[in-house]
Amino acid sequence: MDNRETEIIDIPQWLLRDQQYNPQSDRDTFINKSILSLLAVLSRIKARSTGKAKKYSVQAAFKVACTLVLVVLLSLSGNFTFVIIINVYLLAVLSSMEAKEIVKILKISCATAFFTFIILVPAVLWGNTYSSIMITSKVFATVTAVSILSHSTKWTDITSALKRFFVPDIFILVLDITLKYIVMLGDFALNMFYALKLRSVGRNRSKYTALSGIAGTLFIKSKEMAEEMYYAMECRGFTGEYHVYSNFKFTIADFAYIVIHIEIFILFLYVGRT
Amino acid sequence: MIEVKGVSYSYSGVTALRDINLRINKGEAIAFMGPNGSGKSTLLKLINGIISPDRGIYTFNDEEITRKKLADNKFAKHFHQQIGFVFQNSDTQLFCADVFDEIAFGPRQMGLNETEVETRVNDCLNLLDIQDFKDRPPYHLSGGEKRKVAIACVLSLNPEVLVLDEPLSGLDPRTQRWLVEFLVHLNKSGKTIITSTHDLALVHEISNRAILFDESHTIAADMPSSNLLEDIELLKRVNLVDLHYHN
Repeated sequence: MDNRETEIIDIPQWLLRDQQYNPQSDRDTFINKSILSLLAVLSRIKARSTGKAKKYSVQAAFKVACTLVLVVLLSLSGNFTFVIIINVYLLAVLSSMEAKEIVKILKISCATAFFTFIILVPAVLWGNTYSSIMITSKVFATVTAVSILSHSTKWTDITSALKRFFVPDIFILVLDITLKYIVMLGDFALNMFYALKLRSVGRNRSKYTALSGIAGTLFIKSKEMAEEMYYAMECRGFTGEYHVYSNFKFTIADFAYIVIHIEIFILFLYVGRT
Repeated sequence: MIEVKGVSYSYSGVTALRDINLRINKGEAIAFMGPNGSGKSTLLKLINGIISPDRGIYTFNDEEITRKKLADNKFAKHFHQQIGFVFQNSDTQLFCADVFDEIAFGPRQMGLNETEVETRVNDCLNLLDIQDFKDRPPYHLSGGEKRKVAIACVLSLNPEVLVLDEPLSGLDPRTQRWLVEFLVHLNKSGKTIITSTHDLALVHEISNRAILFDESHTIAADMPSSNLLEDIELLKRVNLVDLHYHN
């Protein structure tokens, strides 16, 4: 540091003394819980936004369409064999994924199926065992199918795929921006909670005032960011129309994927309807 | 005072710090320098107890700082009172209705009586030359004014160590100059100052020791700040300056 003379600044005496401070204990679990939950959401979004396209190289548009068809066929089907075949197919697809993802997806699917079954226990007691097992299996298959789609496809690809279904471009833009701002505002909120935690050095009698302050600041920040982004878009020639472009290349993986789902559809026509 | 031994940290598998060894003594003025993404801010977060190392030991005042210890409410509060952190983005640090409440937030929690709180707040307002803003909501202030309020909020806790993440970025030259002078005074009054900065021209003014990070997330050099600008080859090697840079 320079030894040159600087402008005289009067440092107050209390700032020159060592602070003798013995903090009182306080309950501030809500800050830690908020930090943990924000971290969990952000890392989940970041993990789902990167690094999947290469491994599961089927076009997102096909995945979205086929998953939708599969879910519709499952809900229309009255045949238990068909539902079981779909479950086996989905588990086979699942087994090709990474162990961490398999565990995540199975956790969600099993939990949902379990709670569905709990709700259906009265029906089982009244003798509707077949329908209850059927509904539970359908729920398991539906949740697994959707989870495989969401875990194996980048969210930005899913929103781009919507273009193939004639969803207006402006709606896709809104979805893309929403995803982006969830991450940006999430990061901002996380830093605010860190700051609150670092400055919470004693007993805070009005914890919720600080929390409402964070919510208010986030609101103002999101408004500012939205305005700035709109101005930036205007400067780049945005006139209210937005075009989504995608590099569409039909691959063997796409072909195989479509063939499998056509077979599933044929299977539904022959055995699944009854 | 602060000792970091063999510390490594990664964000979901992406390395941010690799085998960092560092000792900072009381009253020092340190500058962390390095290219973007080299780990400066991560180390500042670690020093402030926001994150804990994956490997290695972090010691503050001869006490090891661990995740378990920071989970102890009283320990964490005492620790956070001793180290003040000024975030890079001042917006994240300000959440009260007006500047006065913002600065009073910490002292009130420390259980000081209202007269003492008022004294501290007014002293901080005078010290940072922001008396005129005391009744204004922080979000209506300019970038430089927000930075001053954020520093005042931390100073009102009277921490031993003041950690500032890129305090000079986004400030006009006059405010930058004022902040440099202010940090020099604080350091001379006995506070330990740790800053991260990219400003090669000002680093020898805000610090007497520079710690240079490289892109492999390790410490490339630990040297007197005044010598930093002389070693242009080193600055080029860590990608802090371009190939055509000269003094």
